[in-house]
Amino acid sequence: MKSDVNIPTSNTPRSKLRGRRVRNVALMIFALITIGSLVVWQNQNLIHSTFTTGYILLGSFLLLTAFNMRKRIPSIAQLGSAAFWMQVHIYVGLATFVLFGLHVGWKIPNGQFELLLTMLYLIVAVSGVYGLYVTRTIPKKLSAINDEVIYESIPNFRVKLAAEARGLVLEACQHSDVLARFYRNRLAEYFERPRSLAYLANPNGRLRRQLTSEIDDLDRYLSSDQRSLSQQLSLMVKKKDDLDYHAAQQGRLKIWLFAHIGFTYSLLLLSIFHGVMAHAFAGGLR
Amino acid sequence: MAKPGEHSREGSRSSTTMQGCIRLSKQLQTIRRPARWDEPLDAQMDEPCVQSLLTTEPFASMDAAKFPQRSPLAGILQNDCRILDLQRGDIIVREGDYGSSAFLILAGEAIVSLQSLPPQLLGRQGKPKHSWTRAIAKLLGNSKHAEVRDYSATSDSAEIGARVTGEGQQVFLHDIPRVIPPGKSVTLTEGEVFGELSALTRTPRSATVVAGSEMKVLEIRWQGFRDLMKSDPTLRQHVDQLYRQNSLQAHLRETEILADLSTESITSVAATTQLETFGQFQWNHDFGKNQKEDIGRRILGEPLIAEQGQPLDGLILIRNGFARLSRQHGDGHQTIAYLGKGQAFGLRELAHNWKTGQQRPAMLSLRAVGYVDVLKIPVATVEQLILPAVPFKKLPPELPALVSEGQQPKNTRRMVQREQSMDQGLLEFLVEQRFINGTQTMMIDLDRCTRCDDCVRACAATHDNNPRFIRHGKQHENWMIANACMHCLDPVCMIGCPTGAISRDAESGSVTINDPTCIGCGTCSNSCPYSNIQMVTINDRKGLPILEQTSGNPIQKATKCDLCASTNHGPACQSACPHDALVRIDMTSPGAVTNWTK
Repeated sequence: MKSDVNIPTSNTPRSKLRGRRVRNVALMIFALITIGSLVVWQNQNLIHSTFTTGYILLGSFLLLTAFNMRKRIPSIAQLGSAAFWMQVHIYVGLATFVLFGLHVGWKIPNGQFELLLTMLYLIVAVSGVYGLYVTRTIPKKLSAINDEVIYESIPNFRVKLAAEARGLVLEACQHSDVLARFYRNRLAEYFERPRSLAYLANPNGRLRRQLTSEIDDLDRYLSSDQRSLSQQLSLMVKKKDDLDYHAAQQGRLKIWLFAHIGFTYSLLLLSIFHGVMAHAFAGGLR
Repeated sequence: MAKPGEHSREGSRSSTTMQGCIRLSKQLQTIRRPARWDEPLDAQMDEPCVQSLLTTEPFASMDAAKFPQRSPLAGILQNDCRILDLQRGDIIVREGDYGSSAFLILAGEAIVSLQSLPPQLLGRQGKPKHSWTRAIAKLLGNSKHAEVRDYSATSDSAEIGARVTGEGQQVFLHDIPRVIPPGKSVTLTEGEVFGELSALTRTPRSATVVAGSEMKVLEIRWQGFRDLMKSDPTLRQHVDQLYRQNSLQAHLRETEILADLSTESITSVAATTQLETFGQFQWNHDFGKNQKEDIGRRILGEPLIAEQGQPLDGLILIRNGFARLSRQHGDGHQTIAYLGKGQAFGLRELAHNWKTGQQRPAMLSLRAVGYVDVLKIPVATVEQLILPAVPFKKLPPELPALVSEGQQPKNTRRMVQREQSMDQGLLEFLVEQRFINGTQTMMIDLDRCTRCDDCVRACAATHDNNPRFIRHGKQHENWMIANACMHCLDPVCMIGCPTGAISRDAESGSVTINDPTCIGCGTCSNSCPYSNIQMVTINDRKGLPILEQTSGNPIQKATKCDLCASTNHGPACQSACPHDALVRIDMTSPGAVTNWTK
């Protein structure tokens, strides 16, 4: 008996995802060798190869920027899935390192505008490589935490957790003020505020370990009922740390992309201007 | 001997304990044990109605003494039945709908259409597919307000109408002869039953039935109909004969192991095959509540179809629903795999016994997950008709040799095919949460997902800026099943829709809601055990809520993932994921999940 439901799916098995890397690297190397050979041939025949490499580079920039368009317009899915475009983006992006080197003759340009272009290119290219690294490593770190949380709802969870922690401490207050004092001195700020920029740059569990250890140290001053409350407080500290970790890591993924796209558009506009100027100084279109 | 002071302390302690107990018992809420008929199908069914029904055929000739005490005939009529008063043209059942009731005509006549009616007459006008240029143009015209509907161009259909009845909205045909020509219909009259096979076997209705005159119809809930069948041999024979005539042989022919049998052999096999059902028909009602129970106890509480270590009395074919294959492991049961429609249980044991002459029992247990419909072919039929006709290569491998104490096992062949054996934890998770029901389940690999929400944005862009899923859901390790309609194989959401707005597309198999015919009753949303159907308040182009004319209440509509039915590119979420982290996957096939996750 066959299933009634017959919707075609195009799920690529995990094993094939690994195999495609070899194919894509081979394709990129082949393309670079072809372009390199063309440049060598042009140089040997006294043809200005910078226009060739310039146009290929500008075309690559346009292709790389088009990835963002593809993501924004789902109706052009016939032009390939976003995953396919991502692969093109990665390997064309990596190839531009070599193309750029060929274009500038592997030297640091001496003109101010050209230097600005080089700086912009390096920022975009290096941020791209950084992006590749973080998009491949941060998801694994996030999925290692049990509770998955949507970035936009983190502030709400923070407020809710801070209120819960405050309520817990107020409950403990009825018998002794040990937990309350500790909360006021060490935890109030931790629960009520987002973490520092230093934490955003390097999210780690140092403060969490420190605070939970300090809560454990309070045990000897607490009754058995209050100890159970302090254990709950300790769990809340861990929960808040998980939220902060999500906020920091997801924030890095978003900030990186924002910067990468912003610089890309600047680079694209200036590259077009550079091309126009290059033609103007070379005596018009050749 | 206790000192006077001690005695009084002891006494005061016991009285304190007593007072504590009394206080505790006052605090604890007590309720009567819930019973089957706490919620009758129709609270209006009173004693005179039941007495009147008892004098009507076929109930008049039923022997009330044969019914068990816990479900007497009068009780079934009062709690599992309701009387529908219908006007000429009223649509009673629609082809393709899922339903949990059978119908008995008490008065008047019904018309069964022998031809499929156009989808718009059944309340299922499909979404037109947009070309990619039109889709881009539509992107620019997407509304900036949520859930905008345009009613300015809506016109009433000339062929169907709707009227409000005591039970809700009733859709009717204006002109029956024009829609259903007399030569292409069958008329059912007083005393005839229809819709029983669909209700009992949980399959889509095979035809549309409309009232041919003013009618009185007795709607009988599935559970009640099953009990009537159990206690009344005539009704049982009638349904059994109907099933064998209409469906059984076709099902057997589609079964892989029976593919080599001749037509005569299939007929003989069909004659001895028994149809059995296990579990709750509307399993979704208790799904959330049962999830809180301990997993070990929950597995043991599932209806047992076949038990490990017990002799098999036949080959079991799953006809509908899902069953859990499990093995005793310590004090509990470990899930080995799950079987779905068309899969067989017990073939390996039966083939082994037939080849070797041994009498080996079932190697694994088979339990109903939710609701399962099985066909059981007796051992004698399997040995006489099926196994001799199956080519030797197609027969399953022999069972591992029995190992005596101190001996190493020689044959360690797997009980489950390698391609079906996924990670144990993931398997348990998918079965426990019943995600195995999904044919287009949204599965996200959190090890690859960068939480960029490109999937949500693509979904929103395709649906007038309204995302139709939530990128959040239940999670096992790095696998998340997001809150998106799974387009279930067993779509419980489709049971009870009063207007037929929610339906399964015959071609693609996807479950979609036709927005214009949805009346916002929330039946589908409440029935979905996965909370994947959202009720929304609709707005006009200015973002103001659209109100109901008489009450002034905001109009609600049910919304869910439609697999981007109006586009040519399939689900936008999947094609928008740049990191291959999101897939729409057929969970009914363990091989697809294993392939994706390994």
